[in-house]
Amino acid sequence: MTAPGEQEPESAQLVRPYVITNGRGLPENDQFNLITLVTASEERPPSHLDPEKRGLLELCSGGYLSVAEIAGHMGLPIGIVKVLLSDLSSDGYLVTRAPAPPAQLVDVSLLQEVLDGLQARFG
Amino acid sequence: MTQYLQDPALWALIAGTPLAATTIIRGRKARANLRQEKAELEKRAADLENNYAEAVQEAHNRAEEATKSALKSAMRTLQGLANEQQLAISKTQDKYGEHLLLQDLLEIDHMNSQFGRRAQSIAVLCDGWLGRQRAVASVYDVVRSAKGRIRHYTRVEIRSQSNFALVSRAVEPVALALAELLDNATSYSAPDSPIDITIRTVPKGVCVIIDDAGVGMNEEEKNRADKLLSATHATGVTGLGNPPQFGFAVIGVLAARYGFTVSVDSASPYGGVRAVVLLPEDLLTNMPEPEEQPTTQAPAAAEQPEPSGSTMTSSTVGGSTAGGLPKRRRKGAISIVPRADANAAARTSEETASIMGAFQRGTQSGRSAATPNREGHDPQ
Repeated sequence: MTAPGEQEPESAQLVRPYVITNGRGLPENDQFNLITLVTASEERPPSHLDPEKRGLLELCSGGYLSVAEIAGHMGLPIGIVKVLLSDLSSDGYLVTRAPAPPAQLVDVSLLQEVLDGLQARFG
Repeated sequence: MTQYLQDPALWALIAGTPLAATTIIRGRKARANLRQEKAELEKRAADLENNYAEAVQEAHNRAEEATKSALKSAMRTLQGLANEQQLAISKTQDKYGEHLLLQDLLEIDHMNSQFGRRAQSIAVLCDGWLGRQRAVASVYDVVRSAKGRIRHYTRVEIRSQSNFALVSRAVEPVALALAELLDNATSYSAPDSPIDITIRTVPKGVCVIIDDAGVGMNEEEKNRADKLLSATHATGVTGLGNPPQFGFAVIGVLAARYGFTVSVDSASPYGGVRAVVLLPEDLLTNMPEPEEQPTTQAPAAAEQPEPSGSTMTSSTVGGSTAGGLPKRRRKGAISIVPRADANAAARTSEETASIMGAFQRGTQSGRSAATPNREGHDPQ
């Protein structure tokens, strides 16, 4: 039915993103932002998990990844990844960590004290 | 004799005889002609009568062909546009992935999928272009793809997964046939009743079972469905009825062409229709393995021993994602500990132990002295 030359050069994903989330809206709470760090928890996921969720857990099993990185790896819009993440974390398969805050300026005298203390012990 | 010669009656007879003869001959000829014409007409009428069915069929075929080719080229354009639009929507979804706009984009995406499916169905009936060539996909993904092409897709629940995948040429036709079945199932059941899909491995292949809780079909509808679904009977565009019912006709064409079977003659346990799609073995293949790229891993990094005393362990697998991007490995947790590769060889284990002990004592005394959470770094 389809001649070989007739095929489109590019084709969209077979499973559309709204099917992956089953039409659910984006999560209301701001549990995840672009730099929230996520990793897989010790809990073993059930075998009937969706392929996307399984892939996501596998991706995170190596250590903490940011939400933006996960979205990039999976090739899904960030909002969709957030829905998956919030499902997985509410089921206990994921652990999240707030991003490392920017370092605060520390009093120089405190640093001097630490240095003095270290030198007194090891110096 | 002369008296006879002078008799005008004789002359009249002489003159009249050929005339009469001619008239009689003419009459005979005319009658013969008429008889011949009549015979010809009768023959033609008989011919027409004999060829009537044939002629009607020929006219029907010609009309069917004309409709088909017109619809086919029209659908080809629409399908191309739907595909283009889908790609554009995908790009926009990625672009505004974090934005609230995504919600609306998903809805537009859904509508576009339905639109594309309608055009595809008509194209199938016109022997037209089925659509994009797909990569090998799991049966589960094909079912989900089908689910995304109907209006009330959230009512569809997929109960099981399968380890089998469909060969690439079967992905699109099976998805389209399943979508048409799901469309029927959702259209002929209560708006809030669920549609259940079960994927079951059977000796002959894989069965996709669709159960709805609708009103079911009566005998007449069942017969019509059976006729359309059987490979022997092909309805064209002109035989769809008014209003046209595409579903079973499309499924029948696809099933015949790609060699899977669809039956709708059993009742679902919920009272509605149970549709069973049997995908034979030659359409099935194993799940594609994600591409492994062992050479891209740095072996030195993998073999590097963890610094002793580190409580966190390195992940055992580095590897790469399906997309070919490297996976991030868990890093050593404490950067202040000397790198193992730098001078681990120069130290004995006793030295290392004493250093680590000193470090631990130092941090403990620091913790007990300092106020907690000075830098607000506590994990959630």
